[in-house]
Amino acid sequence: MGLKQEEILLSNNSINSNVGEIPIDKQKLAAPIKSALDKYQLVPEFLKVRGLVKQHLDSFNYFVNTGIKKIVCANDMIVSDVDPVFSSGLKMYAAPILVNIEYTQGSRGVKMRAEKNDLVIGRMPIMLRSCCCVLYGKDEAELARLGECPLDPGGYFIIKGTDKVMLIQEQLSKNRIIIDADKKGNINASVTSSSEATKSKTVIQMEKEKIYLLLNQFVKKIPIMVVMKAMGMESDQEVVQMLGRDPRYSALLLPSIEECAGINIYTQEQALQFLEAKLKRSMYADRASEKEGRALSILRVVFLANVPVRSDNFRPKCLYVAVMLRRMMDAILNKDAMDDKAKQVLRCHRSYLFKNSRSLRKHKRLCGEQASGAIWQLISLLFEDLFKTTITEVKRHIDTVLSKPSRSSALDPSLFLRTKEIITGGLERTLSTGNFDIKCFRMHRKGMTQVLARLSFIGTLGYMTKIQPQFEKSRKVSGPRALQPSQCYSLGVEDLELLSGEELHTPNSFLVILNGLILGKHRRPQHFAVALRKLRRAGKVGEFVSVFVNEKQLNKSVVVVYVGVRILVILKHICLRVVGMHIFWKLFDVELYLCADQLCVYIASDGGRVCRPLVIADKGISRIKEHHMKELLDGVRSFDDFLRHGLIEYLDVNEENNALIALYEGEATPDTTHIEIEPFTILGVCAGLIPYPHHNQSPRNTYQCAMGKQAMGNIAYNQLNRMDTLLYLLVHPQRPLLTTRTIELNATVAVMSYSGYDIEDAIVMNKSSLDRGFGRCIVMKRYSGVIQKYDNGASDRILRPQRTGVGSEKMQILDDDGIAAPGEIIRPDDVYINKQSPVITRGSRITSAEPLPDKVALSSDRNENPCIKILIRHTRRPEVGDKFSSRHGQKGVCGTIIQQEDFPFSERGICPDLIMDPHGFPSRMTVGKMIELLGGKAGVSCGRFHYGSAFGEPSGHADKVEAISETLIKHGFSYNGKDFLYSGSAAYALSFSLCPFLGS
Amino acid sequence: MEHGSFGDESVATFSLNEEDHTLANAVRFTLNQDPRVRFCGYSIPHPSDARVNVKVQTTGDPAKEVLKDACQDLMQMCEHIRNTFDKTVGELKASEAVKKKNSHSQEKAMDIDSQESDSESEESESN
Amino acid sequence: MAGQEEERGDTKKKFSIFDLPDVPMGQLPDHLQLHRTRVLCNNDAPIHTESVQYSGAYATVGVDNSLRFDHFRNNFRVEVVRLTEEDMEFDMVGIDAAIANAFRRILIAELPTMAIEKVLIANNTSVVQDEVLAHRLGLIPIGVDPRHFEYLSENDQPNERNTIVFKLHVSCKRGSPRITVKSDELKWLPNGSELVKESTPSDSASKPETYTSFSCSQETIPEFAKNPIAPKYPDIIIAKLGPGQEIELEAHAVKGKGKTHAKWSPVATAWYRMFPEVVLLEEVEDDLAEELKSKCPVDVFDIEDLGKG
Repeated sequence: MGLKQEEILLSNNSINSNVGEIPIDKQKLAAPIKSALDKYQLVPEFLKVRGLVKQHLDSFNYFVNTGIKKIVCANDMIVSDVDPVFSSGLKMYAAPILVNIEYTQGSRGVKMRAEKNDLVIGRMPIMLRSCCCVLYGKDEAELARLGECPLDPGGYFIIKGTDKVMLIQEQLSKNRIIIDADKKGNINASVTSSSEATKSKTVIQMEKEKIYLLLNQFVKKIPIMVVMKAMGMESDQEVVQMLGRDPRYSALLLPSIEECAGINIYTQEQALQFLEAKLKRSMYADRASEKEGRALSILRVVFLANVPVRSDNFRPKCLYVAVMLRRMMDAILNKDAMDDKAKQVLRCHRSYLFKNSRSLRKHKRLCGEQASGAIWQLISLLFEDLFKTTITEVKRHIDTVLSKPSRSSALDPSLFLRTKEIITGGLERTLSTGNFDIKCFRMHRKGMTQVLARLSFIGTLGYMTKIQPQFEKSRKVSGPRALQPSQCYSLGVEDLELLSGEELHTPNSFLVILNGLILGKHRRPQHFAVALRKLRRAGKVGEFVSVFVNEKQLNKSVVVVYVGVRILVILKHICLRVVGMHIFWKLFDVELYLCADQLCVYIASDGGRVCRPLVIADKGISRIKEHHMKELLDGVRSFDDFLRHGLIEYLDVNEENNALIALYEGEATPDTTHIEIEPFTILGVCAGLIPYPHHNQSPRNTYQCAMGKQAMGNIAYNQLNRMDTLLYLLVHPQRPLLTTRTIELNATVAVMSYSGYDIEDAIVMNKSSLDRGFGRCIVMKRYSGVIQKYDNGASDRILRPQRTGVGSEKMQILDDDGIAAPGEIIRPDDVYINKQSPVITRGSRITSAEPLPDKVALSSDRNENPCIKILIRHTRRPEVGDKFSSRHGQKGVCGTIIQQEDFPFSERGICPDLIMDPHGFPSRMTVGKMIELLGGKAGVSCGRFHYGSAFGEPSGHADKVEAISETLIKHGFSYNGKDFLYSGSAAYALSFSLCPFLGS
Repeated sequence: MEHGSFGDESVATFSLNEEDHTLANAVRFTLNQDPRVRFCGYSIPHPSDARVNVKVQTTGDPAKEVLKDACQDLMQMCEHIRNTFDKTVGELKASEAVKKKNSHSQEKAMDIDSQESDSESEESESN
Repeated sequence: MAGQEEERGDTKKKFSIFDLPDVPMGQLPDHLQLHRTRVLCNNDAPIHTESVQYSGAYATVGVDNSLRFDHFRNNFRVEVVRLTEEDMEFDMVGIDAAIANAFRRILIAELPTMAIEKVLIANNTSVVQDEVLAHRLGLIPIGVDPRHFEYLSENDQPNERNTIVFKLHVSCKRGSPRITVKSDELKWLPNGSELVKESTPSDSASKPETYTSFSCSQETIPEFAKNPIAPKYPDIIIAKLGPGQEIELEAHAVKGKGKTHAKWSPVATAWYRMFPEVVLLEEVEDDLAEELKSKCPVDVFDIEDLGKG
């Protein structure tokens, strides 16, 4: 599931490129900086390669190309209980899902084979811009010819005419040991296992000094020693040895051993019998498991499902349990670990997270058994369920037919396949409602898809890159308005922890863990990691492989787990696996990482980890030199070349803990291992819009992230051709004088108290500005009518309007064809489609002031019924009560509209467009807004766009307050942006006011 | 329209329709300059009403008369300003031989006056 | 009350408190005089912003604050600083801000002009929506003296005395590059509207009824005979047309005031400001003087030879 989310981190620039600011920025930004190398150009290059919504597209492509086939192949036999055998094979999958069916019929001892190809079993909604989409691979001109916006990122579905986007789900990463404490203070070690066949959650809990296993298949808690014995570790000595020689560990284990002895379990057989008794009654009795006893089968398959059992060798599982126990005991013994518990949990979550499960706490037990995350996983689960339902249905039909004593004709199973539209309907319903209700996986989740709001381009992108958080906001670690640490990259808080280097010590010995699977052991983890990194930089190993060595804990005791594989073999093995996976599943961006918090080296190659590209530094000196950038500008070198030549590499959250990343090149010290490409890439789409966010109180930035999505502007190049249900467009969009990005509206703003209509964040607006077109917007609304056909053969029809007589006055806007003519002004109660249904005549009516039809489109719906869509356009100017917002989470409604002559004006005759109350500032602490106001004013007076993104000040890209003040002074203003204003109504001077310009 | 105390002529509130700060503020100025005025002020009762209330309190003379005089003063003042302005601009044009016609600003000045007198007459009618 | 007002100006003059024409015989104490004649710009906020208007304000110190019309008449003067076709700047000396502000307000809101109010769109296939196009047309200034016209009230028929009709018919041919429609494409129709009302019963004998009822051509009116009516500026962009797009419309301009809508405002803006005065609290000499001079971006200061004192 190649959910590469680094796109999110780097999102802001694509908007740049979208708005077409890049040429300007390139010149402006590249010119004055000589000392630090300007790596800015890498960002657009990177986005060209990865794209903002690549994770959605890749995910869907993977599902369509690979996942769906797997599902069908896994369920490709329909065996009728009655007689013959049917099998179906799959051929190709596009919007109509086609299958080949081959069925064998045994009658009177003679087997007959029949084949049918390309049977449609359902229709699959297609993600836009995916490899199945007609827009796939089209260039800008082709897209424009198709009437599509070339900037539209794709990555969403269109279901029943609405855009639906599936949210990225945050999820605990699988197959990792997570040490946790529950409410009672019991220490838990849990593993959410996921293999291709099984998904399970195994919890080992220490309660009252005894250690138990919690597994859903068992009714009660099972003493851990019983489990060990059931897996063949009959000797207590062996178990103790596995934990390590330190007597403290054996002491902790002692109560458990005693308990086991207390219930008289000494051998594997006794243990299995014990387990058998505790089993939950299962409805699906499995034939295979009954032979050898279900307990063993559960231990083999469900318990720690990620550890494979080959030829009944349970030893790897025993080792794994030992490691889990050992971790728990470390947590209990080690005071740091205990004190750090909350933090550790948090850290675990931060680093191990990613996608899935809306509310972990609520579904904690359930969650363990379902693994789903990336879009393709969810869809494939859904599809699998639907497919299985279909097959059951078909089987039932066949059985009914076959069980009939006399069959007149030969059986054709293909007839049953599309009987009920199970697949089509199911997919459509689920994606359009967002309620995933998958019976066979016991999964019930709501809000998985959201309507892609088309209010603004930013809002759209924001939705596409939104991550559904795992925890409810009420969770203690994050207050209701606090930022989630796991989202630090997408919301814009730099985690300082990433910058703290960790001292290197020579550890005794390290476990090598690949994707949560213990591979072996290595005495020199640094060498191992360095070797792996070298391989990665040389391109021999997948680019997303991460190596993470965690050596914080210097514990003298050695974890005695030997798998007995030599290091070279491991390396080779890993490389083979990694490279193999990388090639085999292009989508699985393979990653390795080493970790050794618990004396381990983690290698991760599973998908869904957040990775970001960073510049590699040797002893604090960036590997990217000026000539590299020049080559990039000249188009000789691409982003991929940077990767391939080892100048840039991807790091995931775990490996970042091993790295010392400098924010700017100037800050690099000899210890620095990596340098950020551009610091502002840390911010996400919405946060990147805020000018000077680092001067604001953080909740304001959070608000703005939410409000930025409600902004009006231009949504796409094809905005006038679209038939959206509701669309808001700004008549005169502008580019902010203080650039970060986006299209907005600039306004002259006075910050002052005036007229009393501006209390509580209200805004006083200038009527003349409104007359001249300030803030004017277009509202488009779609209405549609379907010409229905009825069962009795009757159908609706559209009539010519009556030109005279009763009711004719309601039909003035209709053309002769009975449909409203574009451009006619609609009055309340006007009919816009003169439709006659078999029973009654009716017309659709709307009542609102002075809108007019913009467009009329005729089309047909799924059932081939003609369908008329009318887009009603309504231009409106701002009115009292309309909401306005700056880019700092400061929203306000329009309190009153005042004539220009009553408005205050400055000594230069400048009359503001709107007035804000200064009381909105002190409590909100939005200093960034003050700076934006200043910068806007300076920008107007010197005729230059100012630049004000976060992190820009130290690197010299952004305009500093000092520089802005100087500009103001040069143009005859006060350095602090205050102006002398005159009252417009009475003839006296008012106090000073900020009288600057900003985007609203 | 006039309301306020009916018995005492020296106190009155005049409500002027279709007027705003433009007239009211200027009239307040001239009223204030009149030594007979003890107090004067104006208010706009509601911003969505086009209406101004002017309150006048005199030392004894009928408020109506004082307001009329104030308007008269204002008219004369505007008349004078207009004449001075015309004269200055005319001289400037002549002296500098500015060829371009300056109808724009002249127009304005004239209209200012006509407007002033309009409102004045309207106001006296309402009295 | 500041003794001098300046309208739309920024010139500087030598100025002294005692030159003020309206200083009465009895002297006010210095601080009151300052209070009365100056707005003081302090660091945080200006003070003495409200002018002292009440005639008896200084009665206790024996100073009459009332206005004497003859005094005003003798002392008021106007000085024109700059005068061009579109821009004027003049000083008014000896007038209160209340009066100056009234002029400013009248200029912005109460002077009538002609502006396009009604747009009849016959065809518009451009990307600019009908109502946006109409709004843009409305804001185009029209070069005509509004005094020759009457207001069009609700019940009036549009006629040659209250309506100006313009026609705009532009199309961009297929295959040609896109064109920009500018305000010079607005053609004056002195004979009124050419669009025929649909609802009129077709009476072949009489002239078809249009949206205006002009009794004569506006060209016969002497004021317009010499000066054909047109937009004030020929280069205002109205819309852009791509190949195959077309705009055909008729725009009716009527008389109105800036109060109703800013399009009828005859000025871009009009403002007054008080006369600025900079007082040095102490003598500044030598290098400091140089520094002070160089500090000011608008060159307020100059250095005098100290020898004269």
